[in-house]
Amino acid sequence: MAELLFYVLAAGTVAAGVGVIACRNPLFSVLSLLGAFFCLATIYLLAGFPFLAATQLLVYAGAIMVLFLFVIMLLNLGDEEQYAERPPFGKRGLAIAGASAGVLLLIAVFSVGFGSVSASDGDSPAVTSFPDESIDDVQSIAELLFSRYMLPFEASSLLLLATMIAVILLAKRQRGSGAEGAGWPWKKGVEQ
Amino acid sequence: MPELPEVLAWLLKAALIYGGLLGTAAGMTLAERKVSAWIQWRIGPNRVGPWGLLQPIADGIKFIFKEEVVPQGANPVLFRLAPMFSAVPAMLAVAVIPFAGDLSFFGHSTTLAIADIEISALYVVAIGGLGVYGVILGGWSSNSKYSLLGGLRASAQMVSYELSLILCILAVVVMAGSLNLSTIVADQAGHVFRWNLWSQPLAFVLFVIATFAETNRHPFDFAECEPELVGGFHTEYSSMKFALFFLGEYCAMVVMACLTTTFFLGGFEVPSWPEAPWWIQLPAFLAKAGIFLFLFLWVRWTLPRFRFDQLMSIGWKVMLPLALANLFATGAVISFF
Repeated sequence: MAELLFYVLAAGTVAAGVGVIACRNPLFSVLSLLGAFFCLATIYLLAGFPFLAATQLLVYAGAIMVLFLFVIMLLNLGDEEQYAERPPFGKRGLAIAGASAGVLLLIAVFSVGFGSVSASDGDSPAVTSFPDESIDDVQSIAELLFSRYMLPFEASSLLLLATMIAVILLAKRQRGSGAEGAGWPWKKGVEQ
Repeated sequence: MPELPEVLAWLLKAALIYGGLLGTAAGMTLAERKVSAWIQWRIGPNRVGPWGLLQPIADGIKFIFKEEVVPQGANPVLFRLAPMFSAVPAMLAVAVIPFAGDLSFFGHSTTLAIADIEISALYVVAIGGLGVYGVILGGWSSNSKYSLLGGLRASAQMVSYELSLILCILAVVVMAGSLNLSTIVADQAGHVFRWNLWSQPLAFVLFVIATFAETNRHPFDFAECEPELVGGFHTEYSSMKFALFFLGEYCAMVVMACLTTTFFLGGFEVPSWPEAPWWIQLPAFLAKAGIFLFLFLWVRWTLPRFRFDQLMSIGWKVMLPLALANLFATGAVISFF
């Protein structure tokens, strides 16, 4: 029964994933992604990780997808043609974005390496092995998160912080007076 | 396979709780009009049945016989899906709320909650957060500017206030040391001053304010906002689809009232009587939840509506920092004393 359910859900996840890139209307892409998240959450539940399932729904379905919908509706993206437009970033902006992403990636790689060094008792912490079955106990997840996986945890929070700052910067740009790009801090007084 | 008494107990509990939820939601539509009439010195509905008590049934029959209109240019699939997206999450969330302690039928002992899962507080938040899809999709798929504005406002509002709501719940979870609603209730057992209302007054006030925003109720009902947006996200809806939106809103109110009771008013605990039988605990729970249901109505007919930018600035600049500070202080007090 559980096995059958797993195959149904796995097929559903794949189908929804295909739907994300196949749908012409971006709104349906978002809804497909939502369906994929639901199937994944149910698979977590089947595997005996209700905490993970609830977190998946809470974070992805409850918050992130809502913001996706929000943006798509605000921009009123009707069809794919709109994607042909490139965002008006210069090469400089791309370079800055690439550099900061690279730095963050390095931090992430280093911290995962750090974690595997500190876990010197043999098992690799990164992918496969959970210490024991009681992992889903919220308390044990919290303990692991704040001891063994402290560095990856902090690195990902740093990534989120960087994203927040970037978003604030983008939003501030609209307040700039006059010509295009006047609000960019590093362009102040350069062009015009 | 579970034993027969267990299955029977599940079915009975589900029937009782869902019957109660839908009945209360229907009753709330009548109560809304009765209370508004009372507050505004009017009579209110009094024609159908004694004191107008059968009015919700008459309304339901009327909704069924109304013509269904799907506006031209509306997205036909999403337009039909949206009301379901709105009504289902609120009904799902009620499944984990414990309405009474131990009760036994057919020799099977159980708590009066459909599913008493370990992470029920998280489940409630996760499922409750999905209610926003109905509003957004309904607003977008109607192909109407008023609906779209209502949907956009609602999504911004619900996502913003969800944060404060979750942080307030987390403060309570830290107090009880568990995500299980039954444990949170048991943690408040005994004296009336053990209720989280007294130890978490700030979280309580913020939570109640956030529930008004989460359910799109006055003074935060910007998703509808008649003077500006005609009817907001459900402007184009008619017949049973409109009724489903209505049902979703009232079910969400009932769920929020039950959650406030569970988190801050000791749930089904009777003060100074922890071993009360379930037929005392259930009315106690309903009485406490009824206070908040009345509060929803009372506030709607008393306070004027905010402005949308005021709502957002209260949510992000007042409620969120306060809730964060409260959670931080709670954690510090718990770990150092």
